[in-house]
Amino acid sequence: MHIFKDIYDYRELLKTNVKKDIRGKYKGSFLGILWSFINPLLQVVVYWIVFPYLMRKGAGGDNYLVYLITGLIPWTFFLTTVSSGTTSIKANAGIIKKVYFPREILLISQVVSGLVNFFISCIIIIVFCFAFGFGISIQILMLPVVAFIQALLILGIILILSSLNAYVQDLEYIVSFLLTMGMYATPVVYDLSLLDGAGVLGKIIRMNPLTIIVMSYRDIFMYHVWPSMKQLGVVFILALVILVIGYIVFKKLEKGFAEEL
Amino acid sequence: MNNENAIEVRNMSKRFKVDYDKAHTLKDKLLFWRTSHVEVHEVLKNINMDIKKGETVALIGTNGSGKSTLLKLMTKIIFPNEGTIETNGKLTSLLELGAGFHQDFTGRENIYFNASIFGLTRKEIDARIQDIIDFSELGEFIDHPVRTYSSGMYMRLAFSVAINVDAEILLIDEILAVGDQHFQEKCYRKLKELKDSDKTIVIVTHSLDVVKDLCDRAVWIYKGELKLDGDPIYVIDEYLKQVALDHKEEKQKAIAEGKHRFKCAVFIDAPRDFVTVKKEDKVLFSQGWQLSDHDDAVLKVTVDNVEVDNLDRVNRLDVYDAYREVYAGDMDPDTIGWKTNIDLTKLESGKHRLMVQCLEPNGNIMAEKSIQFVLE
Repeated sequence: MHIFKDIYDYRELLKTNVKKDIRGKYKGSFLGILWSFINPLLQVVVYWIVFPYLMRKGAGGDNYLVYLITGLIPWTFFLTTVSSGTTSIKANAGIIKKVYFPREILLISQVVSGLVNFFISCIIIIVFCFAFGFGISIQILMLPVVAFIQALLILGIILILSSLNAYVQDLEYIVSFLLTMGMYATPVVYDLSLLDGAGVLGKIIRMNPLTIIVMSYRDIFMYHVWPSMKQLGVVFILALVILVIGYIVFKKLEKGFAEEL
Repeated sequence: MNNENAIEVRNMSKRFKVDYDKAHTLKDKLLFWRTSHVEVHEVLKNINMDIKKGETVALIGTNGSGKSTLLKLMTKIIFPNEGTIETNGKLTSLLELGAGFHQDFTGRENIYFNASIFGLTRKEIDARIQDIIDFSELGEFIDHPVRTYSSGMYMRLAFSVAINVDAEILLIDEILAVGDQHFQEKCYRKLKELKDSDKTIVIVTHSLDVVKDLCDRAVWIYKGELKLDGDPIYVIDEYLKQVALDHKEEKQKAIAEGKHRFKCAVFIDAPRDFVTVKKEDKVLFSQGWQLSDHDDAVLKVTVDNVEVDNLDRVNRLDVYDAYREVYAGDMDPDTIGWKTNIDLTKLESGKHRLMVQCLEPNGNIMAEKSIQFVLE
């Protein structure tokens, strides 16, 4: 319970960190915070142009564009937060060596600012859903729940990766490779039905917790059905397990941060 | 932990790995995991101490003795290898000022960032912000981005935040070197104020006058061990004796190896440079001092290259005090000063040069100083 008190005591640090992340990221750039919209949109455009040619038929049934957006934006949340989270201990070596504060604040604020960015980006999803006649439905109530589960999963992962990265500094390159691979292990740009004949590979991809999360977002935004609570529950428990392991690893390794960095 | 104590250190040891080619990448770790050349350096050995609430304690010791490491351990930036360090109460460290400053944000915004690292909430910062701004004396600059600040302004802002955090335990590492004389005095007054308001303060400093003036207690760390703990005046005296001893030993070793470069300083207090003197005064009083760590250093005072012979050595306790650490063990306060009366009757009117030199026995000049005077 000590951890919750620590975080509560340092809530102002958490707030200013999140603010710095969101506002400081684009400070000085011409379009400012608009970049957090433009970036995923530009990516969507690239995939939207290229992928229908690569696949026999457009994935996602009627509307590949909306299918892409509903997958790519949650994936971007995962990708950017995990990659910036992995390096965040190293990137903050300056203050870690100088001041005491609960180190996990650095990671929590990464996840929170990622989450805020994601919710802002959800506006894009909703705009597209309206533009292409999908509209929204009551299932949108599940959005915070799925996002919360995803955030927990990310936090657990970066607790482990960031503390290991302080000791073995080329972990971040391995992580960035795994993340590139991970995008293809998740049905972001293609439809799961394409993998029906893929055997083991198809099974692995179906078991990928991010597959379940991305599919849940699509259920919410595109298909207007309730996501599978059973599958989401499994992901939630998995996220909790990773979080606990991550926290133990982090607490063990954090004592050496100031000396190793 | 005893409730009266603010800090408890028990059987605490700290080792640093001195890694000559630090394996940070996976390749290095895999390839060199056996051959890696690691030397373990014990920085602190079996330290035990209690610091009571409300005490002001100084940690003294030479460079590399481990006192700053001890302070870092108290801050919980690094952790002991053996034993424990426990603290009781809200703790602020002024080890490094301006941590977490963001160049593009204004001074005011940075106060919020910096204070939040110390664990303050928004409300607490709001309540203090005017005090912080006033203390920093930044005026209108507080709303300018920090990157436009001079280094002095930057440090003043950082110090103002740190000292206004209202921690119960303050850990300070050599901070009285911030800003100009005026600001330093202000910091010093603030520290005294904090001391009187029953805060626990631990200071690492080399300025022993501060220790004597401010601290109730001095702890002397010598080569990683706690050597002496008690009243500042006594501890400092013992410390300086040891410094003098070590100094001499080191010097003798260096001389034996032929590596030692002798130090020397000479000074002329009177007359002042370019002074005009009248011939009817008959004599010109002149005085100054000379210091050297060479046992057989020779002082030579000349006027226009003619040596002055009526030189007297005098006691200069003021110089002795000022150089106690630098020339530890090499000074005799009774022979530091010199004075002489220069006979003006034998000199022609016009410009003259008074020169003071400190020589090695073989005539090698270690230091010199000269002034001009005009005889009318």
